[in-house]
Amino acid sequence: MSDVNGVTPLLEMRGISKSFPGVRALDDVSLTVRAGEVHFLLGQNGAGKSTLMRVLCGAHQPEAGEIRLDGEAVRLHSPADARRLGVAVIFQEFSLVPYLDVAQNVFLGRETGRRCMHAEARRLLQTLGVDIDTTTLVHELGIAQQQVVEIAKALSQNARILVMDEPTAALSDHEIDRLFTRIRALKADGVAIIYISHRLQEIAAIADRVTVLRDGKNVANLENPVNLEHLVHLMVGRRVETTYRQRFCERPGGVMLDVRDLASDTGVASASLTVRAGEVVGLAGLVGAGRTELARAIFGADRVTSGSVTVNGRILAGQAGQAGWAGRGSPVAAVRAGMGLVPENRKTEGLALNRSVEDNIVLAGLRRLFPKGWYFARAAATVAHDIVARLRIATPSIARPARLLSGGNQQKVVIGKWFTAGSRFFIFDEPTRGIDVGAKAEIYGVIETLVSEGAAVLMISSELPEMVAVCDRAYVMRDKRIVGELGRAELSEANILRLAMHHE
Amino acid sequence: MSSPPKGGHYRSTSVVSGFSRTVPGAAYLLAPLVVVFAIFGHGFATLPNLLNIGVQSSILLLLSLPMTLVIMTEGIDLSMGAVLSLCGVVMATLLTKEKGLAAGLLAALGVGTAFGVANGVLVVGLGLPPFVATLGTLGIAQGVALVLTGGQSVVGIGDTLPALYAREPLGVPFAIWSATAAFVVFRFALTRTRFVSYASAIGGNREALVLAGVPANLYHVAVYALGGFMAGAAALLLTGRISSGHPTAAIGMEFDAVAAVIVGGTSFERGKGSLGGTLVGVLTIGVLKNGLNLLDVSSSLQVASIGVLVVVALVIDSVLKR
Repeated sequence: MSDVNGVTPLLEMRGISKSFPGVRALDDVSLTVRAGEVHFLLGQNGAGKSTLMRVLCGAHQPEAGEIRLDGEAVRLHSPADARRLGVAVIFQEFSLVPYLDVAQNVFLGRETGRRCMHAEARRLLQTLGVDIDTTTLVHELGIAQQQVVEIAKALSQNARILVMDEPTAALSDHEIDRLFTRIRALKADGVAIIYISHRLQEIAAIADRVTVLRDGKNVANLENPVNLEHLVHLMVGRRVETTYRQRFCERPGGVMLDVRDLASDTGVASASLTVRAGEVVGLAGLVGAGRTELARAIFGADRVTSGSVTVNGRILAGQAGQAGWAGRGSPVAAVRAGMGLVPENRKTEGLALNRSVEDNIVLAGLRRLFPKGWYFARAAATVAHDIVARLRIATPSIARPARLLSGGNQQKVVIGKWFTAGSRFFIFDEPTRGIDVGAKAEIYGVIETLVSEGAAVLMISSELPEMVAVCDRAYVMRDKRIVGELGRAELSEANILRLAMHHE
Repeated sequence: MSSPPKGGHYRSTSVVSGFSRTVPGAAYLLAPLVVVFAIFGHGFATLPNLLNIGVQSSILLLLSLPMTLVIMTEGIDLSMGAVLSLCGVVMATLLTKEKGLAAGLLAALGVGTAFGVANGVLVVGLGLPPFVATLGTLGIAQGVALVLTGGQSVVGIGDTLPALYAREPLGVPFAIWSATAAFVVFRFALTRTRFVSYASAIGGNREALVLAGVPANLYHVAVYALGGFMAGAAALLLTGRISSGHPTAAIGMEFDAVAAVIVGGTSFERGKGSLGGTLVGVLTIGVLKNGLNLLDVSSSLQVASIGVLVVVALVIDSVLKR
C-alpha cells in the first residue's frame, strides 16, 4: 500500500465501523498517519475520536475495517498487542503507579537490574530534555512531569505511534511550549503522533494534518495550514437544528439565581450570571472548562472564596448573615433556599441505589414533609405515588430499588427528590448522559414543565445540539471563567464552539 | 556501569524504603517513648529488657511484614491471628506425636499457605471484599483449631522446639534472629524481585500493571498467600515460646499487625507503603507495651494505649503532609 507520494504510511485504518447498543459510534472511518507527522484529530464530544483511539490501542474490536502498520494488516486483540506493535496511548488519566519511582514506572512489567533501569530512564528523560531524578516517587511530580514520564515509558517500549489525548489540558503555557518542543523532537525521530485536542490554536503550532470526525464519520482530511473558521463548520456540520421546547421563554420572571464575581477554591474565577424564573439557561464549555466546579460552588458543595450567590433573594454565600456559615455557602443552606442539584453522576451523587424509589423521592424532603421529626409511612407513600405519576416514572412499584430502574427513570427519581424538597431552582449537570433517545425527550419535557410552572433551570451539557435545542440562553465557560453569553438568537453550535475553543 | 551524570543524584533507595524516604509519624513517637520509659520505667534501659522487647515484637513483625503488602494492595487480612493459632495447634499436635520438628514446620507452613491462597482466591478470583473474605476464613481457622483440640491446650511437645527457641547465638535470642531474617528477606530480597513494587502497583494503579503485561491477579493472590505462609512461620516462634499449642493463642493479633502497619505510615489508599516504617511501627508497639508493663499499667489500659498510638501517629502523619 502506498499513498500518492509513493510512501507507505506508517498507520492506515480503513473502513472502521463500531457500534454500541443504540449508537453507531464509528461508521466507515479511515485514518492515515505517516511517520514523523503530527496528526490532529478533531471533533465534538461524541464524534468518535475516543472510540477510534480505543480501536487503535486494542481496547475495542471493530466490526468492520482493517488496520495496517507499515502496509501490513494487523489484528489488535488487546492493549498488549498494540503496545508490542509500537502503539502507545497517553490518556488524560495517566497510567502511572503513584508510589513507585520514575524508573520503576517507566519499566513496569519489564524490570531489569536497578542500575540498568535508572541509567536507561535517565537517558530517555535526557533525550526529552528534562532533568527529573529517576528515584523520585511519581506522586511527588507535577502533572507536566508525570506526562513526560508517560512519554518516556512509551519510548522505552519503542513506540512508533504515540496517541496523546488532550495533552495540554492541565498544563501551563510555559509547559505547553516545552511539550511542543518535545513533540517536534519526536517527529524528527520518525515517531508519528496522533494528537487530540479541543484547542484549535494548537493546530497552527504543531499539526501537519488534520482529520475531522463528526457523528462517527470522516468529514475532512486536510493539510495544515487550515482555516479555523472552516474547521468549526466542519465539526458542526449543516445539521438541521431541532428544538425540544414547545415554546421558549419570552417574558422571564424575577431573578431566581444571582451570582456575582464568584470564585471558589476549585479554581472558578470571577463568574457572574443570572437565571430568571421561567428560563432554562445553559452553561456550555468543553470538558474541564469548569462548569461542574461552578455549579458545585453555587450549590455550596465547594468552598466559595469570594463573590456572592443569591437564590430567591436569600444570600447563600458572600456576605455573612442569613447564610449562617459565615457566608461560605453550604448545601444545607442551598436546599433550604429552594435549590436542587441533579448531579452528573446520578449513581454516586444523586441516588441511594439500593434504597427504594419511595425512599429516594422523600429523602431530600423529609424536613419539609415531616417537620416534627416523626416519619409517617403512609404520607411518604402518598407523596411518592404522586411524584411517580407526575413525572411518569416507569416502575412496577414505589418499593423497587432505584438501581433496577433504567437510566432515564433513575434521573426522574433524582428530579422527583427535589420536588418533594420544594425546590424552585434546579441545576442539571449533564442530565441526559447515558440515557436513550426516548427518555431524553421525556427529561426535556420535565424541564419544560418545570420552567412553565415558574421554576428556573441552569443546565450543564457537553452535547451542543441539546444545548441549542433546550436553552433560552447560555453562558460559555473556558479555563474556569465565563467567557461569553449567547442569547436565544445567537445560540448555535458554531457560536458555542468559537467561544469554548478560544477562537473568536 | 556508567557513573551518575553530573547534577543527577543517584541514591540507592528503592520505592518501599523506610527511613530515607518517608519517615513515618511513629518514628517521632518511638524516640520520646524510649526516653520517657528510660527515665521512669525501672529496668527499661537494660540490655536484657531491650532484648525482651525484641523477642516480644518478633511474632508481630512476622505478621506485620506481609500485612504491609496486603494493605498496600488496598486489602486487609483479618484471618492472620486465627490462622497462626491453627498452625500452632497443628505443629504442636505433630510434635506430640513425635513426627519431628521439620514435619511440624512444613505442616504449619502448608496449612498457613493454604489459608492464604484461599483468601487470595476469594478476594481476587471471586471479587469478595477483603474485609469480608478474611473475616470468613478467620472464623473457619478458629473453628477448626477449636475442633482439633476440643478447646484444650496441646501439651507434651517434647524438648526439641523449646530448646531451639531458647538458643541465643551471639547472645541474641532465636526469636530476634528469626524476625531479623524475615525483615531482611522482605526489605531486600522481595523488594529487589519487584514483588513489593507490584503490590504497590496493585493498590496504586492496577490498570497500569495489567497494561504492562504483568499477571496482576497472580501477584495479588500471592500477596495473600504470603500472609498465610508467614502466619505458618510465626507458629514456630509461638509454639516455641509457650511450649504448647493453644487454639486461641494468637487471637486478635491481626489487629496489632494492622496497627503496626498503619502506625508505620502505610496507607489503605493508592499503594503507599513502607516495610521500614512497619518495623518502626512494630517496635513502637513493643516499646509501649513493655514500658507500660514496667510502669504497672493494667493490660486493659494497654489496649487503649495502642488505640491512642494509632490515632496520634495518623495525626502526626497528616500534619507532616501539610
